Amino acid sequence: MAERQEAPAARAALERLIELAGVSKVYDSGHVAVRALADIDLQIESGEYVAIMGPSGSGKSTLMHILGCLDYPTSGSYFLRGKEVSQYGGKRLAAVRCREVGFVFQQFNLLPRLTAARNVELPLLYAGASAERRREVVADTLAKVGLSDRGHHRPNELSGGEVQRVAIARALANDPAIILADEPTGNLDSKSGDELMQLLDGLYEMGRTLVLVTHDDNVARHAKRVITLRDGRLV
Amino acid sequence: MNFLTLFARAVASMRYNKTRSFLTTLGIIIGVTTIIAIVALLKGLDRTIDQEFSSLGTKTIYVQKMELQLGLHRHRDFDEISKRADLTVEDAAAISKLPTVRAAVPNIHRDLGTLKRGIYEADECTLTGIGEGGDLTGNWVVSGGRFITRYDQRHRNTVCVIGSYVADNLFAPGEEPLNQKLDVDGHRYVVVGVLEEKGASFGHPQDNQIFIPVETYVKYYSLPEGRASVFRGIRIEVLPDEGVTVETAKANVEELLRRRRGLRYYEDNDFGLNTQESMLSSLNTIRSVLWLVMVGVAGISLLVGGIGIMNIMLVSVAERTREIGIRKAVGASEFDVLAQFLSEAVALSSVGGVVGIVLGLAAAAFVSAVTPLQAAAPWWTVVLGVGFSATVGIIFGIYPARKASGLNPIEAIRYE
Ligand SMILES: Nc1ncnc2c1ncn2[C@@H]1O[C@H](COP(=O)(O)OP(=O)(O)OP(=O)(O)O)[C@@H](O)[C@H]1O
Ligand SMILES: [Mg+2]
Repeated sequence: MAERQEAPAARAALERLIELAGVSKVYDSGHVAVRALADIDLQIESGEYVAIMGPSGSGKSTLMHILGCLDYPTSGSYFLRGKEVSQYGGKRLAAVRCREVGFVFQQFNLLPRLTAARNVELPLLYAGASAERRREVVADTLAKVGLSDRGHHRPNELSGGEVQRVAIARALANDPAIILADEPTGNLDSKSGDELMQLLDGLYEMGRTLVLVTHDDNVARHAKRVITLRDGRLV
Repeated sequence: MNFLTLFARAVASMRYNKTRSFLTTLGIIIGVTTIIAIVALLKGLDRTIDQEFSSLGTKTIYVQKMELQLGLHRHRDFDEISKRADLTVEDAAAISKLPTVRAAVPNIHRDLGTLKRGIYEADECTLTGIGEGGDLTGNWVVSGGRFITRYDQRHRNTVCVIGSYVADNLFAPGEEPLNQKLDVDGHRYVVVGVLEEKGASFGHPQDNQIFIPVETYVKYYSLPEGRASVFRGIRIEVLPDEGVTVETAKANVEELLRRRRGLRYYEDNDFGLNTQESMLSSLNTIRSVLWLVMVGVAGISLLVGGIGIMNIMLVSVAERTREIGIRKAVGASEFDVLAQFLSEAVALSSVGGVVGIVLGLAAAAFVSAVTPLQAAAPWWTVVLGVGFSATVGIIFGIYPARKASGLNPIEAIRYE
C-alpha cells in the first residue's frame, strides 16, 4: 500500500469522513458470480486527496459507486461521518447523493437535452432550492469552472474538456464535502486533462475531500495518498 | 421541486417530441371534445324543449288519431292508423260535457301559402278551424276584439281571429284590423279578434294562423282522408276542469271515446291521448340514448387515449433510462423521478384535455350558430374535461413512472 499521507498544518483537526469495514461486492448475473470487491477496509479523513489506481477490472469503479452511494455493498458496512449509510433506504440515500457527494463520471453523463446551466441546476432542483438561489448558484459554479458564458449551450455544442468542467460544476452545485471522480481525465487530451487537474487541485486547496480513480501516474501524482486495488483487494 | 417547475419541465419535455406528443393525445382530445359537445347539445336540447313546451298548455290533453311518440313508426303501423275512424266535432262536444272537463276544443288546419290583401301579403299562412275555448287550450291571449264563440259556431259565422304575424303583414302600420274584411280561399271573413305574439313552437311559426269557427271550416272544406288524416284530421284539445288532475280527465275522456267508438274491453285504443308529459317521456328516451352515446364514445376514446399515453410513456422510460440513472446519481429520489414521469403523462393528457375543451366549445358554438338549438356547455363540463384528462394521465402514467423510479442508478446509466 503506497501511502503518502502529509496533512498540512491547517488540516490538523482531521475528521473520520469515510470508513469502509469489510466491504464486498459480488455481481451475480445468473450463472457466474463476479467478486468485484473483497473485504475492503478503508478510511478516508476529511480534507484528504486520494487517488485510486489498479488494473482494469480490479474494482475501482465498483468501489467509487459504493463510496458515492450509487450502489449497495453485498456485505460489510459503509460509514459516512459515522453514519452507516449502507443501511439507508432509497430515499435517505438519494439525499446523501444529493448533498454529501458530488460524482464525476469518465463518460461525463450530462443530460444531452438540457443546457449546461440546466445540467448544473439538477442537484439544486432535487435539493429543493428556490429558483432565485438556483440561478445564483448555477452562475457562481459555472464561473468557478470558467464557463460563465457557455451556460446556455447544450453538451453537444461543447468540447470534451468543457463538458467535463460542466460535470464538475454539477458535482459542486450543492457544495458537497466529497468529490468523487472516476477517471475524470480518461476521455480528455493532455492539455484539457491538465486544466481539469488544476481545477480539482483548487477544490482540494479549498478544503474539499477528493477521491479520484486514474490509470495515469501523472494524474495520481496530484493526490496526497494513492491506494491500489488488485482483483478487488487493497494492496 | 415545486409543482409549477415540475409542470414547466414536463411541458418542455413534451415539446421536444411534438408530433409524437400530438398523436398520443389524440384519443384524449376526441374523448373530451365528445363530452363537451354532447353535454352542450343536451343542454341546448333541454333549453329548447323547455321553451317549446312553455308555449304549449301544460295541462292540455291532445286527442288525436295516433299516440304521439318521438321516434319512428313503421309504414305498416301508419297504414293501420290511417284506417281508424276520424275524430269529429261531435266527439269534442261530447267530451266537453264531461264534468271533469273545462273545455274540449276541436282543431283542424290547412296551409294557405301566401295570403294577399290589396298590396299586402303574408307568406305561409295557416287556416285553423277551432272550437270555442280554443284560446284557453292553446294559451292564446287576445290583444284586441274577442275569440271565436259558441254563437259563431252555431251560426257558422264567417268571422276570423288572426295571429300577430298576419295582422302585421296584411294591414298597414297603424291600421286597425278589427271589423275589416279578409278574403281567404274565395270566402270573405270579418276580423273579430287579434292575438298577441307567441313565437315558434318546435320550429313551427304559430302567429301565422287565421282562426275561424270549426263549423264554418267543416262547411267549406272536406276533411282529409287516408294518411293525411293522421296528422291533418281533426284533433281535440281537452283542458281539465279546475282542481281536476290531468290523469283523471284523461281517464274519463278515454272511457267516453272508447264507448263512442264501440271498442270492446279487449281491444286497444284506436286513438291517442297525448299530453306534454307523454311527449316529454319519449324525449327523455332520446336524451338517455344521447347520454349513453356520449358515455360510450367518451369512455372508449379516453381509454384508448390512456393506453396510448401509457404506451408512449413506457417507450419514453426505456429511451431515457440513462437520463433516469443520471438524475438519480445527482440526487433525484424515487419520488422525484416518479413525479417527473407522472407529470409528463398528466401534461400530455391535460394538453389533450384543453384542446378537447376548445374543440368541444367550438362545436357547440357552431351548432348554436347554424341551428335553432342553443347549445351551450355549462362551466362544469370544462372542469369535467380537465378532471377526466388529468385522471387518465395519472392512472395510465403511474405504471411507467413507477417503472422509471425503481431503476438502480448505475444499471440505468450503463443501459444502452
Ligand atoms: N453490473 C455488473 N455485472 C456484472 N459484473 C460487473 C458489473 N459491473 C462490474 N462488473 C465486474 O466487476 C469487476 C470490476 O469492475 P469495475 O468496473 O469496478 O472495474 P474497474 O476497475 O473500474 O475497471 P476499469 O479500469 O476498466 O474501469 C469486473 O470484473 C467487471 O466485469
Ligand atoms: Mg472503471
